[in-house]
Amino acid sequence: MSFLAILAGIFEGFGVTATITFYGMLYAVPFALVFGILQHFTAGPARVVVTSIIEFWRSSPVIILLFVFYYSLPSFGITLSGITVGAMALGLNIGGYGSQSVRAALQALDPGQVEAGRALGLRRLQILALIELPQAFKAMTPTFINQFIQLIKGTALVSLITLTDMTFRAKEISQLQYNPVGTYTALLVAYFLVCYPATIFGRWVEKRVSIEGRGQRDL
Amino acid sequence: MTFDFSFALSIVPTILAAMGMTIAVAIVSCFGAALLGFLLEILRRTGKPMGYLMRFVIDFIRSTPVLVQIYFLYFVLPFYGVTMPALVVGVLALSVYYSGYLAEVFKAGIDSIPSGQFEAAKALGLTRIDAIVFVVAPQMLRNVAAPMGNYFVSLLKATPYLAVIAVPEMLGAAMEVASDTFRYAEPMVIVGILFLILAVTIAQFVRLLEQRLLASAKR
Repeated sequence: MSFLAILAGIFEGFGVTATITFYGMLYAVPFALVFGILQHFTAGPARVVVTSIIEFWRSSPVIILLFVFYYSLPSFGITLSGITVGAMALGLNIGGYGSQSVRAALQALDPGQVEAGRALGLRRLQILALIELPQAFKAMTPTFINQFIQLIKGTALVSLITLTDMTFRAKEISQLQYNPVGTYTALLVAYFLVCYPATIFGRWVEKRVSIEGRGQRDL
Repeated sequence: MTFDFSFALSIVPTILAAMGMTIAVAIVSCFGAALLGFLLEILRRTGKPMGYLMRFVIDFIRSTPVLVQIYFLYFVLPFYGVTMPALVVGVLALSVYYSGYLAEVFKAGIDSIPSGQFEAAKALGLTRIDAIVFVVAPQMLRNVAAPMGNYFVSLLKATPYLAVIAVPEMLGAAMEVASDTFRYAEPMVIVGILFLILAVTIAQFVRLLEQRLLASAKR
């Protein structure tokens, strides 16, 4: 099997990788926005609850989250498909990280912005939707792109719960052909081909929103 | 199978016993990642061809999943006559993966050192190595304390990946219990809870260290 044939074989699993990434985003983005905003708004015991939920998803290693939900939920009478478990565990883990960039972006805004909104007679939710969020999005974008890449890379884990993604395909091919060097090199290349465009795009966005005058220092 | 609480409690000591391995792997990998990341970043600044090569290496490391990198090192290196215990492969893989991220952190840290420092080092006739070790590195470390701490916590949470190559850290110990007893639900929940406690504790500790470091820098 030539290198290209192996690569093509690995890309047969791209559908599953893409599906998990897509469903993962459906969990990650709403979670990040809702919990980031809640953490920004709440205080006292309510904030402790919000923070605990975020910390649960963010501080647990994603591979353990995946195994807990895949192996343990059935004994509590909840049986979910591998795709659902994968998308949920990976998505909410990334969503936990995302909520922190949402909160940080909201907190970094000049308080004068909210005060100006109040002075104009806007309600608090209007201030959030019309003044704070549009400005915060700019600061969030680079981190969101990075987390999107983390999510794509994280999907390699679903091969451990028997979904036939790119990594699972590579393992199959490796066992059939007994050519681990070619197979695992091709697998690295496959993920690089998928993720690198996003890395480049992320760097370009980062450059556009970063502070000017922080050039490279040559050694 | 329903969740057996007394069985779950009975395996806590077994999994706790593996916590030392988790922490040891994390600490050694942190040093490895920091050294390798610093080396990559310094090499990236040494002129055109090397600079582009290192940029590609760093991007490649960052664009591929850590799980795949672990598989690659574990299955491919023996083909070239390099046979290492799984533990060494695991530490190497985590060091390589996080070196890519730390190189980016160090880049920002070096770029925020005032340019007068570099000119002063040159004016004093320091060699390039001396300038890097005595002028750049100490100031950079202070600049990067916070993001570096975050990546160290992230590395701790990546140690359970090593269970896939049978390193006996916490998840590995849990998997062993699971395959011995054919009960997966309880070991996974227990390792999840214990890891969450460990990760949150270490994260707090790293935050405390950071604040200390920043406070001492202000004096």
